[in-house]
Amino acid sequence: MRHVISAIFIATALALGSAAHAQAPQGYPADYAKIVDAAKKEGKVVISSTTDAVAANPLIKDFEALYPGIKVEYSDLNSTELYNRFIAEAAANNGTADVIWSSAMDLQVKLVADGHAAAYASPEIKALPKWAVWKDSAYGTTYEPITFVYNKRLVPEGDVPKDHTDLLKLLNAKTDFYKGKITAYDPERSGVGYLFCNADIKDFPQAWDLFKAMGKAQAKLYTSAGAMMERVTSGEHLIAYGVFGSYALGRSKKDPNLGIILPKDYTMVTSRVAFISKQAKNPNAGKLFLDYILSKRGQEIIANKADLYSLRSDVDGEATIKSVTQLIGDKARPVPIDQTLLENLDQAKRLAFLSKWQQAKKGQ
Amino acid sequence: MPIAVYRLLVLGITTLVVVAPLSLVIYQSFLTAPFFDPSAKVGLLAYSFVLADPDFWQAFWTTIVIAGGMAAIAVPLGAVLAFLMVRTDVPGRRYLEPMILIPIFVSAVVIAFGYVVAIGPVGILSTLAKDLLGFVPWNLYSLLALILIAGLTHVPHVYLYSAAALRGLSTDLEEAARVSGANPFRVALSVSLPMILPAILFAGVLVFFLGFELFGLPLVLGDPQDLLVLSTYLFKLTNKLGVPSYQLMAVVVVAIIAITAPLVFMQRMLLRQAQRYVSVRGKGLKTQPLPLHRWRWVAFAGIILWLFVTVVVPISGITLRSFVVTWGEGVRLLDVLTLDHYRELTDYPNVVRGIFNTLGIGVIGGAVAVACYTAIALAVHRWNSGWTRLVDYLVMVPRAMPGLVAGLALLWVFLFVPFLSPLKSTMVSIWLAYSIVWLAYGMRLVSGTLLQVAPELEEAARTAGASDLRVKRDVTVPLIKYGMLASWLLVFLIFVREYSTGIYLLGPGTEVIGSLLVSLWGTGAVDLVSALSVVNVVMIGVGLAVAVRLGVRLHG
Repeated sequence: MRHVISAIFIATALALGSAAHAQAPQGYPADYAKIVDAAKKEGKVVISSTTDAVAANPLIKDFEALYPGIKVEYSDLNSTELYNRFIAEAAANNGTADVIWSSAMDLQVKLVADGHAAAYASPEIKALPKWAVWKDSAYGTTYEPITFVYNKRLVPEGDVPKDHTDLLKLLNAKTDFYKGKITAYDPERSGVGYLFCNADIKDFPQAWDLFKAMGKAQAKLYTSAGAMMERVTSGEHLIAYGVFGSYALGRSKKDPNLGIILPKDYTMVTSRVAFISKQAKNPNAGKLFLDYILSKRGQEIIANKADLYSLRSDVDGEATIKSVTQLIGDKARPVPIDQTLLENLDQAKRLAFLSKWQQAKKGQ
Repeated sequence: MPIAVYRLLVLGITTLVVVAPLSLVIYQSFLTAPFFDPSAKVGLLAYSFVLADPDFWQAFWTTIVIAGGMAAIAVPLGAVLAFLMVRTDVPGRRYLEPMILIPIFVSAVVIAFGYVVAIGPVGILSTLAKDLLGFVPWNLYSLLALILIAGLTHVPHVYLYSAAALRGLSTDLEEAARVSGANPFRVALSVSLPMILPAILFAGVLVFFLGFELFGLPLVLGDPQDLLVLSTYLFKLTNKLGVPSYQLMAVVVVAIIAITAPLVFMQRMLLRQAQRYVSVRGKGLKTQPLPLHRWRWVAFAGIILWLFVTVVVPISGITLRSFVVTWGEGVRLLDVLTLDHYRELTDYPNVVRGIFNTLGIGVIGGAVAVACYTAIALAVHRWNSGWTRLVDYLVMVPRAMPGLVAGLALLWVFLFVPFLSPLKSTMVSIWLAYSIVWLAYGMRLVSGTLLQVAPELEEAARTAGASDLRVKRDVTVPLIKYGMLASWLLVFLIFVREYSTGIYLLGPGTEVIGSLLVSLWGTGAVDLVSALSVVNVVMIGVGLAVAVRLGVRLHG
């Protein structure tokens, strides 16, 4: 039934939309109306993303309301599958999704570096932090602090670590208590985990000591934040190291037992990277969608409905760059979107890291 | 159309459909980059990388241990279960029979999720045990637990073949043994089971083989303990070099095939031998079941205990999880009850589509698949030619490829074959993948029915002047109508349950519950996973109930 109603709604919207010419949003160049018109002719935008549909839903609905006549076809995949599918589709040469939006920053930068992105200077560039735009192609869309989460029921008040050094001390002091009770991303099996570990090595001189301490405490390693949080809330584990603040915030709203910590010494911040595919079938609609998620209107939804943390300084709310700054001041360390991310994919470096990691896992 | 043309056509299409994905995988394994990458060169680089990787060997040996352990548990239990159900007076056999087969039809991922919730370190039963005993007497995340669960859930496979073999044997010898004073235990051990040894062996090889296909259980239960088997090693591999590497994955697949192909061959040999063995059959009078006396209820309790552990515990675990916000140590479940997860299902357009697609692939896709299987079976039916042997082997080929990989290979086929690419993001791609992966199973169902058709009626029609195709259409097919219906139901159950084949084909328009479960599990949306699992179990339950109601034998 809902489908029928929305179909009628869309049909009416289409009829109305084609009657009047599109208007450019405020502050956009006058010829933007041309893009809008062309996008309406395309009629849809295809998005391939790692953000799960529930978080993206409010964005999609608002976008469709803003541009009646453009339907969003949204699919969420995990980052490896997304990359796999995209390169295969690109090689097959008969069109890809229009907007590629993924949390695997390094893989996204690689796709852009390999020439898969269409260059497009968004009218929103001025409002974005410098580190979030690369080559007028790759755009950071969120500002997600990497947090510790813990089980409020079961972790003693005095144990809750405020920063990385605290956690290291805690693990060394109460190794037995926390044996098997710590969890983290597995850098061997998850690209995100690898990215996090490398950022830690750069920002935290005792990073390897921390990894070793986790190894001694027999930390359990997973490939998804959801699995980690599920097991922290159930009490199977007590503290999860390195969880996207966005997911943690969403989960803590449902389950008040989940505590979130933004480490006070430094907090890594990642961003979901979006670009328009060179082989987009609906390039204009793709531009509209990209501009929309970067716009104040889109970012307000990112901050307040999707819990993905807005990266615009003119957006207010719980999940914003402002709220993060309030908590940790200048200790946020956003991962810049540029070619340095490609080092992550360097195979020799990767294998060297992994063999050292396997030692650390044994506590050595 | 002359029959020769029909046969040639069917043979040609089957060969193409079966061989194309497989040869693509083998070709890919000898390249240095994805086959569509212009920089790809022919070489053995991928092989040397994988074979030098200690993780590969660890995964390899773990797989062997698991497969062997599984067989060691499932074979004796399955054989004894068959003896109890077919030959003895265990109470409630009629009701037990369909229940015994449930583990075959419930998706392994669902079972695995259920175990985590029920008997994981802070699972519902574990916390109970901790309250009573002060400690949890089991550890779900151990190799032993994985083998035990895999073994117990594969008991029905062994049961099916052993029971079928037992049913085909006359009871004369057993009765003779009984009259001479042997107790039931002795009868089973010295008479019945040795007689069906070939069937048991066959089932053993099958279970060992299925061990190589295991994906859902190690994916969920192996994750926290860093335990890899070959199929989950494929996943890890994509990350080892930072970028996904098709050529390495292809090598692992070739390695898997190198082991499974001989197993499939061995199964065939054993099956032929088993049939030869059983050919000394007699109809035998309807005989009294062997009385177990006081052991009757012990046997019954044993079966119920096994059902409790393999069916009740995981399914009630996942069901419970779908109705609570959170769980675990220190949580009172009554405080956290909710229906939200089911409501949330409708928030996800892709999940809603997935539910309908799953029904569609089961009902419509199942019917079309059975039609295709019938077309192939009819082509070789009563055809005295070496080509039938080829078809026999051909349909076995896809069995050697795990569903996950078959799905990936088909994605490539759909991407790069120009006239197929528009179908890539439709359910046609999923249907084709499912139909290929389950080709051997479906063929067995249909040809089993065909075997029951005696040649007289067909010969009569031919004598009356009907052409070969006419005979098939007007005589053979109507005769096997009921068998086809039964096959349709069984294929429905299998298609609804399937989870690994659709993973790489998952996209807008091709969502099915199975692959959504794996993908959602990956993102950690456990609330949704549990609710969706229950939806899946309900679908299968309804299908099973219909099958039982119609009196469909739940096996080929």
